[in-house]
Amino acid sequence: MTELLVKNACVIDPLRGINGETMDIAIRDGKIVEEVSDAAEVIDAHGMLTMPGGVDSHTHICGTKVNFGRYMSPEDMRAGRTPRRGAMHATSGYSVPTTYGNSYRYSVMGYTTLLEGAMAPLEARHTHEEFTYTPLQDTMANTLFDGNWAIMEAIRDGDTKRVAAIIAWTLSAVKGFGIKLTNPGGTEAWQWGKNVSCIRDPVPYFEVTPAEIIRSVVEANELLHLPHSVHLHCNNLGTPGNYSCTLGTFGLIPDLNEKRQTLYATHVQFHAYGGSDWKDFCSKSEPIARYVAMRPQIVMDMGQVMFGRTTTMTADGPMEFNLYRLHHEKWSNHDVELETGSGIIPVIYRRKNLVNSIMWAIGLELALLTENPWQCLLTTDNPNGAPFVKYPEIIGLLMSKKYRDAEFATIHPDTESRVPLPAIERELDWYEIAVMTRAGQAKALGIQDLGKGHLAPGADADVAIYPLRIDEVDPSAEYQKVIDGFSRTEYTIKRGRVVARRGECVVDGSNATFWVKPKVSENYDMGKDPDFIEKFDRYYTVRMSNYPVQEEYLARNRCIETEAEL
Amino acid sequence: MKVMLAMKPAAKWFIPIEAESIVPKNFLSGTDLLVWRGNRELRLDEVFSVSVEGDADRSEEVEVVLSGDTFRLKRVGEYMDGGTITVLGGIGMHCGNFMSGGTIEIHGNADGWLGREMAGGAIVCRGDAADYCASGYRGGRKGMTGGTVEVFGRAGDFLAESLAGGTVIVHGDAGDMPGAEMRGGTLVVNGNCSRPAANMKGGSCYVYGTAQRMIPTFRKIGTVQHEGRALIRFSGDLANRGKGNLFVKGYEYLD
Repeated sequence: MTELLVKNACVIDPLRGINGETMDIAIRDGKIVEEVSDAAEVIDAHGMLTMPGGVDSHTHICGTKVNFGRYMSPEDMRAGRTPRRGAMHATSGYSVPTTYGNSYRYSVMGYTTLLEGAMAPLEARHTHEEFTYTPLQDTMANTLFDGNWAIMEAIRDGDTKRVAAIIAWTLSAVKGFGIKLTNPGGTEAWQWGKNVSCIRDPVPYFEVTPAEIIRSVVEANELLHLPHSVHLHCNNLGTPGNYSCTLGTFGLIPDLNEKRQTLYATHVQFHAYGGSDWKDFCSKSEPIARYVAMRPQIVMDMGQVMFGRTTTMTADGPMEFNLYRLHHEKWSNHDVELETGSGIIPVIYRRKNLVNSIMWAIGLELALLTENPWQCLLTTDNPNGAPFVKYPEIIGLLMSKKYRDAEFATIHPDTESRVPLPAIERELDWYEIAVMTRAGQAKALGIQDLGKGHLAPGADADVAIYPLRIDEVDPSAEYQKVIDGFSRTEYTIKRGRVVARRGECVVDGSNATFWVKPKVSENYDMGKDPDFIEKFDRYYTVRMSNYPVQEEYLARNRCIETEAEL
Repeated sequence: MKVMLAMKPAAKWFIPIEAESIVPKNFLSGTDLLVWRGNRELRLDEVFSVSVEGDADRSEEVEVVLSGDTFRLKRVGEYMDGGTITVLGGIGMHCGNFMSGGTIEIHGNADGWLGREMAGGAIVCRGDAADYCASGYRGGRKGMTGGTVEVFGRAGDFLAESLAGGTVIVHGDAGDMPGAEMRGGTLVVNGNCSRPAANMKGGSCYVYGTAQRMIPTFRKIGTVQHEGRALIRFSGDLANRGKGNLFVKGYEYLD
């Protein structure tokens, strides 16, 4: 039995409605408890800001796509190198660091739970292997279903229950956590050298539209009672005028779940563009934020862009090809058989570039114009908008109008006429930041009942203590202190152990992976469905029996069993 | 000030030594420097017989002379900004990485990556240079940006890869793919080479011998006179918008 007592902590815990109360946190055997014995080890937090461990609900840190980003950018590996030190392995890389690099840098910022945003089911083993070497965070993987042949056939036949059954079988087989749709239908069209321009374009051969895919999969998700909602990367990413497509997509979504949203729309910054081409490109964050405010069934994340060098990687193959034609730099393109695809391009976002400046502003506007912080979460779609190490700067920008104005003065001068940002006075407070970086993310992922994102007794003892005194620091003026404070925790506690202390990771750690296993009736077990088996063996390059990820790929794991209505 | 470093014979002579501390500037404050042999850090005088003549206030006044079996001595002159390094024999990989000033003279052969990503100064190699002489590094967008590299013998493959500025002159032949991805600067190969200037975006490449396996995406423009030679001019790689200039004495396409 190990016990730990964090004394005099200034706690912000939004899921329990606690805002800045000074209290003690008792921990026994990796869980929060009511009280501990006198023998417990004591950490005196001296009134420092203490929150549940950070949760990142959309990041790309592990898997084939991330690894190919490393592989094609050896120059990125020359940046951010650290030698072996104490319990820490050597790391390298800046926008696509090694797994240890990701894990240490997240941990130092107080993050304890991460969701890999896009795992191709066929290549799931690689993701799980890298999870094992991301030791200081619990992980889960959203699984890609955007161009799944069997699902599109079931949708064409109007059989939503079969869609759910295929998803149930696949998630259990690849040990995935939630459903990710990346440019639904578009990646399949890309295998024919085409794309879909918005939700009403039919996918070649299958003759289903993205709108049908989204609607069916959303309904299937609720039939399976998955913890997370459908996680959607809308069609038409990164093109001027795409905001209308985004609004049309949001309009498709019914409110089907009382506990959480029905749709998680990711990196909405990339989907909130006005104009008809790059010359009259402008921000449409206002209509998007207004629309989301009226629909509690939608939660989005920012996908904030920050200036500097990074790597874009997505399952959205056709979009990356368009990006390649703009940049004429390195490009990778990948096809995942009957499932999806991907593309990768290194990019540099520049202050002097008008388009990049507008993108930077749009992300901030989405966060500031969305009244309810539970509906707009803080991400950069790491590393697409910026590497996650920029989160503290984004927090600084959201909390300080002064900082925003200072930054605004350094970007392209024409930005002012294209974006509403300069007129926005709102400055987020500590509580709202806590919602956007942990509580809201845990709620959106549906993992608060599993003890994530809050500090109630019974919760996992994941705690971040930041060297900030919220009664002394004025974030609006002293934004640099806020940035420094969120960059380096005083203590990061994971599963009841101190894992990082003032920028140093002090233990080796061991990761746990969350995955779901929906229970379906015999009739809907795709493992025994003759048609599914026949098509699988005919079109995949692997045998169906070799497809599921074996248990040994999951060192420590937590299976979430759900009762499906099938 | 003249610093003489004579390599001591070592039992395990085959283990490379990483000696990025051997830079003229560092000798202004004495010879108390460290180098790595494999995973062990050693004092300079454990590896070399060190003798110093005179003194100096500026790195420009320092001359370092290396002798003995130095062909496994790596990273000599890395980030050097002034002064002189003379190598009486051969030198190991990555000599003169990132150098911005001063002179390195090598009397023997140089191993790979000589003058990688250099920004200024001069390197003279009296023998041959191995692969990736005066080049960039893996994945990098820009290679050498300034200074001069002159090789009197032959050069290996990927000579001046990603060249972005400065001058590279090879008096003998060069290997495969000299000037690949070059975007600026001048590359001169006095002998023959294979597939010059692939995917070039800018700069000028001169081949005074024969360009073998000439790349088909260069468009022949005509004949020009250059420093007393009649050369055939091609415009830069059409696969990359055709912005560079390639001049060759003779050329042959792959059959």
